Amino acid sequence: MIKIPINSLVVDDEKDFVEMLSLRLQEAGGNVKGAYSGKECLEALAEADTDVVILDIKMPGMDGIETLREIKKRHPLVEVILLTGHGAVDTAVEGMKLGAFDYINKPADFEDLLTKLEGARGRKAEQEERIRKAEARALLRKSGDI
Amino acid sequence: MENIRLLLVDDEYGFRQTVSKRLKKRGFFPEEAGSGEEALSILAKKPIDVVVLDVKMTGIDGLETLCRIKETYSNSIEVILLTGHSSTQDGVSGIKSGAFDYLSKPVEFEHLLGKIKHAYEKIKRDEEKRREADFKARVEQQMIVTERLASLGTLAAGVAHEINNPLAIIKESAGWLRMLLKKEEIADMPKKERFDMALEKIEKSVDRAGKITHQLLGFARKTEPVIKEVNLNDIVDDVIQLVEREAKNRETEVIKKCNTEHNIIFSDPYQLRQVIVNLVTNALQATASGGIVTIIIEGEEDETILTVKDTGQGIPKENLERIFEPFFTTKPPGEGTGLGLSVSRGIIEKLGGEIAVESQIGKGSVFRIKLPGFNKIKDDKDNTENKAWLEKFRNLYRRKE
Repeated sequence: MIKIPINSLVVDDEKDFVEMLSLRLQEAGGNVKGAYSGKECLEALAEADTDVVILDIKMPGMDGIETLREIKKRHPLVEVILLTGHGAVDTAVEGMKLGAFDYINKPADFEDLLTKLEGARGRKAEQEERIRKAEARALLRKSGDI
Repeated sequence: MENIRLLLVDDEYGFRQTVSKRLKKRGFFPEEAGSGEEALSILAKKPIDVVVLDVKMTGIDGLETLCRIKETYSNSIEVILLTGHSSTQDGVSGIKSGAFDYLSKPVEFEHLLGKIKHAYEKIKRDEEKRREADFKARVEQQMIVTERLASLGTLAAGVAHEINNPLAIIKESAGWLRMLLKKEEIADMPKKERFDMALEKIEKSVDRAGKITHQLLGFARKTEPVIKEVNLNDIVDDVIQLVEREAKNRETEVIKKCNTEHNIIFSDPYQLRQVIVNLVTNALQATASGGIVTIIIEGEEDETILTVKDTGQGIPKENLERIFEPFFTTKPPGEGTGLGLSVSRGIIEKLGGEIAVESQIGKGSVFRIKLPGFNKIKDDKDNTENKAWLEKFRNLYRRKE
């Protein structure tokens, strides 16, 4: 079960899937929102603090990879877990090269997904921690200069 | 012509001697037989092309021998009959039974020689025709198999992807219900263990269905290319030969133009040929009589471009974007599967290339295939540098996978 509540966003054009996975993640203690397209995903990210996006690759219009690019451009710290059809490993690899944390095959094993979610949340936390420390050092150096 | 294998059959020893001597002077070394029976036993032992056969013989006569020869060897042996002076009837019935021709005795030697040569040419022509027909049948068979596999693959992949989504929904729903059942407030729910059992069955079945879709997807990716040295010139010639009849029926001309010496690449000849046949067949079907379909090979050391151009009706803009989609077709139901171009694109991409189309209504369409050129390997395949090239190509191919 998830220890720290994770702010996650489930993105898939299959509304039923988004709905059910959200319910389940909420039940597991997460703070979950849903979006039904790449565009809606970006809008949701602009509005609310999000740690991890669970993103389907195959979507009409703006697909998962395109959405991932935009997410990384606008919110570099937000982590992304890709949902792929089986056999689309090459797309998953492409996604991870673009900065996705990991990928998971659909239909996904819930425990696997939770582990990956926590991993993603962890990576984001570490990164934020590093940034905080760097900022602190920068601040110290500045005050030292004075 | 000197290697024509002859058999001379006549029961008159003197006649055989004379003809045989004159033939030897002209570079022929005929086998000789004094009767129909002897002729047949020689034929059973030695390969013969042309038989010069006297009709009037004791034992089984010439016509009977002819029938037996044709029965066993059909078109691979030609027979020239020698008939008596006034018996044209024998000659005619001989031709009816499959003789190449007949000559009346006394035979004019040059005349006989000419007939022998003609008979031999006919054998060669027949052989050529047979080879062609065999070749065509083989290629068509191959194409049917590849296309069937590929279309089955496309279908399987499509079905698997479509089914995975609802499976995922069922799985999430069942998982969520299971979580609900664990809650304290419904710990005392009546028949709770039955709900648990049912949910477990749902989850198990989803996993089972998931495994099947994965297998289907695995199958879809199994048609792997076999990479070898390919001469595009030869492949295009093959294709032109294959579509020759259809082109003739449509009064359309198919022309090859090779504008490069970099026409040898590393690729899969059979799959490549299938793609070109698809494109040329489409082009022919789109072109009215009097039109021209041109296949152009051009390119540089590291890229070869193959173009199929027609003077047909062109493709409307709204269709242009969709023609590579599986099952997209403008032909009436039952006449086209709508898989040709989608399969073609799949093949070309697997081979590390690209396929693109341009079209103008009323003027025609141009399909352009870009393929990685590996001309360097042509000169020396064992050269280590070339091995590196080959390796590079294989890697490229693996990446595409």
